[in-house]
Amino acid sequence: MLQTVVTPTSLGDLRKALKQAPTATFMAGGTLVMPMINEGAHGVSTLVSLSKLGLDSISFKKGVATIGAVAPIAELARHSELKFLSVAIESIASPTLRNMATVGGNLFAEQPYGDLAVCLVALDATVTIVNAKSKRSAPVEEVVKKGLKAGEIVTLVSFTIPKAGTFKYAKASRRVLNSASIVTVAAVIPLAKGLVADCRIALGGVAAKPIRAKSVEKLLNGKPFNGKIVTAAAAAAAKDIEPFTDAYASAWYRERVAPVHICRALLRDAAGKA
Amino acid sequence: MKGSVVSITLNGVERETLVAPGTTLLNLLREHQSLTGTRRGCDQGTCGSCTVLVDGKAKLACLIPVETIDGSRVETVENLAVNNDLHPLQQAFVEGFATQCGFCTSGMIMAAKGLLSVNPKPSRAQVIQAISGNVCRCTGYESIIDAILAAAARMGRPIKKSA
Repeated sequence: MLQTVVTPTSLGDLRKALKQAPTATFMAGGTLVMPMINEGAHGVSTLVSLSKLGLDSISFKKGVATIGAVAPIAELARHSELKFLSVAIESIASPTLRNMATVGGNLFAEQPYGDLAVCLVALDATVTIVNAKSKRSAPVEEVVKKGLKAGEIVTLVSFTIPKAGTFKYAKASRRVLNSASIVTVAAVIPLAKGLVADCRIALGGVAAKPIRAKSVEKLLNGKPFNGKIVTAAAAAAAKDIEPFTDAYASAWYRERVAPVHICRALLRDAAGKA
Repeated sequence: MKGSVVSITLNGVERETLVAPGTTLLNLLREHQSLTGTRRGCDQGTCGSCTVLVDGKAKLACLIPVETIDGSRVETVENLAVNNDLHPLQQAFVEGFATQCGFCTSGMIMAAKGLLSVNPKPSRAQVIQAISGNVCRCTGYESIIDAILAAAARMGRPIKKSA
């Protein structure tokens, strides 16, 4: 049963709260934690809200975006620098939920949710993590895979804004709006002299955590970027994924359509047309 | 288990309430303030029937422990009608038969109000997007979308003083 809800207003207060309740559950926007609490039988006795730590600022410096972990996902859409993410943002839940769900919280959404985390893996984002004593940074890719240690929270997410036209995104879902992922594809495909250079392709909906499609990346790097090469490379995604069956789609279906959506994401033009 | 006092400006009036830990905004509205216009549907954030405005933004009251919004402004459907005059959104829902069983209606109206406050002239697609988190099992949504667009058009016109 819930005994205490703490809303610290500074990192110092947060650290104090952590010392008092080392096993506290953290909450940012509440869209993941509160459904569990409302269900009952949750075992949470102390809930620490991160909403008043002032970790909701969004800033840009020298082409790098730095986003407070508690910034609501809806806020990202207000910045012209992040316009490249607007298709991805609009594919996540509903506007009402996006007013609540946070950038940092999305890293801990269970698949097949967490499409922003998939984007952040593709963007090679880094997070700042603090605990009661210290501070460290880690790649988002590692955090989504391994999670955090007890008592740690993500405070900032930062990434280099990709060159215009290099960010790609597609999401397959049962409905056009407000539905979980069957396959989510986010990618950054830089070209150098007409050849793909160090691309990053991240997938959601096709494994227990957001993953990189490393086999596909390998086949694309150094190659010209065209439909034939992308289609051939996308077929290799079967080696990277470990799809699951849920209410939205079967593992069989996810495996069959993953390459299709990789092609759609990569070959779609900037206006989002296939 | 220690309760705490939270202060919320509720429909324009500051209210201090002593709440048990983790009391949701939905419980505060319905159980402490007798504002039952805000509906409890799923308690999971998936149906949208508890949508209210918190500091002007549409949010789900069932997912908010009130300790986390101490000092905020909350607006519920009860604040829309002025004396006996329905808000244009409410009027459009009545006229357009956009409400059948009525369970989703207050959530739909508050989600629409959140949209119109930042985008007074939304496109049909923007209205559909705005209510994409609100489930209605009666209407098939079209009459709701039409009503929101009708209300937006009405609110865009200069206000006529009634005699």
